[in-house]
Parts: sequence; structure tokens; C-alpha cells
Amino acid sequence: MDNALTSSGMKKSFGRSLLYTLPMFLITFMFMTGGRPDFSRPASALAMVVTFLFVNILYFLMHYTGKTDKFRAILFIIFALSLSFTLINNMLETRNSMSFSQADILECKIPFCHLVIPMMILPAAFTNSIIFPGSIIGGFANIASMVVLWLVATLVLGRGFCSWGCFYGGWDDGFSRIRKKPAIKKISEIWKWMPFAVLIMVSLTAALSLIPTYCDWICPFKAVTEFEQVTSVESATKAVIFVSLFAGLVVVLPVLTRKRTQCGFLCPLGAINTVSNKVTPFTIKIDKKACTECFKCVEVCPLFALSTEGIKEGKASVFCSKCGKCVDACSKNAIHFGIKGVPSCTMKNFSRNLFLFVSFLFMSVFSAGSIINSLQSLLNLIF
Amino acid sequence: MTDSLILGLSSGSSCLVTCGMVMFPYLMAGSAGVKRIAIDLSLFLLTRLVIYFILATLAWYFGQALFSNQVVRNVVPGILYIVFAVMLVWYSISKNRNQECPAKIVKTVNNHRLVPIFLGIVNSLGFCPALFIILTKGATQGTLIQSYIAFLAFFIGSSIWFLPLPLAGKIRKKEVLKTIGILATGLAGIIFMIKGITNLIGGIING
Repeated sequence: MDNALTSSGMKKSFGRSLLYTLPMFLITFMFMTGGRPDFSRPASALAMVVTFLFVNILYFLMHYTGKTDKFRAILFIIFALSLSFTLINNMLETRNSMSFSQADILECKIPFCHLVIPMMILPAAFTNSIIFPGSIIGGFANIASMVVLWLVATLVLGRGFCSWGCFYGGWDDGFSRIRKKPAIKKISEIWKWMPFAVLIMVSLTAALSLIPTYCDWICPFKAVTEFEQVTSVESATKAVIFVSLFAGLVVVLPVLTRKRTQCGFLCPLGAINTVSNKVTPFTIKIDKKACTECFKCVEVCPLFALSTEGIKEGKASVFCSKCGKCVDACSKNAIHFGIKGVPSCTMKNFSRNLFLFVSFLFMSVFSAGSIINSLQSLLNLIF
Repeated sequence: MTDSLILGLSSGSSCLVTCGMVMFPYLMAGSAGVKRIAIDLSLFLLTRLVIYFILATLAWYFGQALFSNQVVRNVVPGILYIVFAVMLVWYSISKNRNQECPAKIVKTVNNHRLVPIFLGIVNSLGFCPALFIILTKGATQGTLIQSYIAFLAFFIGSSIWFLPLPLAGKIRKKEVLKTIGILATGLAGIIFMIKGITNLIGGIING
């Protein structure tokens, strides 16, 4: 039965979808409330209830409609926006500015993000030191929790982290959806190797200078989070680079190409996640018998993971972030979520359910805090 | 030191892409085993190191003579960095990059013992944009020792790529490595372009 699904085969009845949502409902409730809901502060309680319902409705709709990417993207984009909002809000409250000073660096007060991880590996291995001026275990966005979260996610989801866990990915994912059709269609596939070149560069420069060079010089998301105070030609140059890269790779190019250009052409962590795609149990599978070679999936893939040659061979490349865009686009249900070792045309529903549960749970738990904080801040602002 | 090493690493990769396969048969031809390969490679690398130290000395002396004024010391190298960095980026995106390897003239050398030395000279004097950048850097260093350190870092970065040369035949995904190497070269060009612009603006403001 599971092997002969039609294009609408991933849809479920209302009751069955509700049943599939129940475990997510319970787990997210436990994570968001700690088992003891606190209604003493109305704004906080309202923000939590809204987030809880919102997350679970999205998960329910994934099962009910059989569509993945549409509902994933909603939470993913809101996650990115709310995290930037929370970070900026936090910095404005604690420092009255989005920029940080040398004193903040010396006091290790810089919030940590997962993009630093590639640069930490070599210095940590050779000098037993962490080159990022952040808090290791305590405080806001500490290093230990972020590293553990990323490690678990990348081992389980592989590059799926880039579409289900990264709190920056939602920015270019969002902008890539603005136009209905791409203005730039032909992009050389050579660029998909750029994150590896960036990874080599930033890892080595960080190891030699003991400075997280990607954060210091390149990261486009500095434009929407925090950046060094402009006090010299060097810091002004950095600010220009951050803003230009954000405008170019996160806004303009995604709008024009309908691709996630920052994630696909720059992010060094994406390169590591691409490699970890080799060990993750989840993958995208292509049923060659059902495939009509319309290549709609190749067209919609935001990260150049699918090619016409690959489709003919029945293979998705390691660049796949399991966003589900190709799965939703395939009218023949020939492309689907799968588990390694299981033949491509079998257990489609089971594989999807399992992958969705793991990945959506990670994203909802990871994003809930910042969404609740943002909502709470907005409610406090309004009332 | 970091930027010199990075420059070496990036230029080394592109150098290997263009010349590695030309040099490989000559370096390895007639070799009787690991010992011989190690000797030939060592001679090749040693020759490059000597040439780089000579270039470091010349660059520093010329730099002292040419860039005596502090403003000139910032502005001129800034412009040179930008020009050479643009050349380096152009080199990485140009489709003609694989046309000719200067090491091909090694065919004219009959004595096999001299081949690694000859290749070392040709390889280190192949005036590519990366070498122009490191020459500019060497020329602007405060002391001769600093110029040597910059060239040494450049040498180390570029030499790393030659160490696995004997295993070249066994590397499966050569095209991927070549692509990443070329992209890294372009990135190094951008890094030095930014460095040049920062130097230039700093020089103008301070002047």
C-alpha cells in the first residue's frame, strides 16, 4: 500500500493527522512550559500559547495537506526574523547599541552562533583554546549549548540543519520566495563548491591568527545582529563588507535567482553539514520508475542539490538540505524522503513521518524561545 | 604572516592545478622508490625556498628605496595590492588559465639530476599575480627578517600542495579539488583587494 502512493498519497485524514500531531503536541508543551505552565504574566502566557498553537498547527498541516516545504518555510522564516529581533532587543537592552566594544570582547559578552564552529576546530585541537569571546556555559547564547545542539542536529539531519535548524537560513529562504519566477536562470554549478573554499580559508586564517575571521570580516548576518563599533578604517571596511554581502547574497541574489545564495555560495558551516550528509540516516530518494523526467525538482531546488544527470541516475547529491521543495513539486510523487538502506520506492510514508517528526521537533524546540521572546516584546510594546 | 600563508595556500592550489600534472612525470620519472622521490621533492622545494629568499631580499631593498615616505608606503602598496588582487581574481575566473605551464620547458633539460632544481626555479619565478602580491608585501615590511617571514609563510602555504604529489594518481575527485582550489585563489584575491583598499584609504586619511 505504502509503495503505490499517488501525488496526493502523503495527505492524511483530519483524524489521522491529529493523531500524528499528538506526540509533537505533548513534547512541545513540555519544552515550552517545562511541564508547569505559568499564567502569572499575561503577555508571557499569551506569547507562549500563540507560539505553541502556531507550531503545532503547522505540523498538523504538514500531515493533513501532504506538503512539507510550505509549512517548514513559514516557521523557518519566522525563526530567522524572531531570532534577529531577540538578539537586537537583547543588545539594545544590555548595551543600548547593536555594536559591541572592545570591552565586550574582553569580558566575553559576545553571543555565540553556530557559524563560528568551523573556525573553532583547529585552534581548539592545537592550542586547547576557544577563539570566540563568548560565554562557555552561562549567559545568553553560550558556546557549549550551541555546539552540542549543532552537533546532534548535523549528525541526525546532515545538511538538513541548513533548512530545519539554522536561524539565519530563513532570511535568504524568505527572499528567494518573493518572485514567482527567477530573473536569473543560468547559474554555473561551480559556485556550489565555494563554501568549501571559504571553509578552508576561514579555518586556516582562524587557526593562524586565533581570531574567528569569518565573523570578524565576512558574516553577512552581522548586518542584522551585531557588529564591531566603527572606530577605524578597518572596522568601517568590515561594516561595508557585512552590509554588502547581506544585500547581495541574502537579499538581491535570492530574489533574482530564487536560490538560497548565501547558504549555497558562502556559508562555511554549510560545507561541513554537506559532508555530514554522508552519515545522516535521512536522505531524498528518487523513484526512477515513477519519474517522468520533467525536471521540475531540479528547477525548484534552492541549493543546487539536484541535476538532470542526477535525476536520470536516481540520485540527489550531498548538497541536499531536505527542505522538501522538490518533494512538494513532484506531481508523480517520484521524489520523496527516505532512509538510507531502504529501497527508493518503499516505505515512503513511514520515512516522511519519521523525518518530519525529528526535524520539525528540532526546529520547533529550537525556535520556540526566540519566537516567544519576540512576541512577548511586541505585546509589551503594544500594551 | 597569516595572509602570506593563505596567499601561498591559494596560489599553490592553482599552481598545482596548472602545473602539477606537467611536473609530476618529470619529478617522478625514473625514480627508484620513496627515497628517490623524497630527494627529488626536497631538492625541488629547497630550490623554491632559496629563490623566495632571494626575492624577499630584493623586494625589501627596493621597497626601502622606493617607499621611504609613510604615506607612499601605504598608498602605493595599496594600489599594487588592488591591481594584483584584481589580476588574481581574473586569473581564477579566466577560462584560459590552463593554457600553458611554464614548467613544460623542462623538456629541454637532459640531466635528470638537475630536473627538480630546474623545476623549482621555473615554478618559483612563474610571475603570477600571487607572487606580485607577496613581492609587494615583502617590499613594505619594516625589517628584512619580516620580509623573509612573509616569503617563508608564502613558501610553506604553496609547498603543502606539492607534498602529496606522489599520490596524485590515486586522488579520485581531482575535478572537485581543482574547482575548490580555483575558487580559493579568487577568494585570496578578494582578501588582498580589501587589504589594498583599507591600506589606500588609511594612507589617504593619514596623509
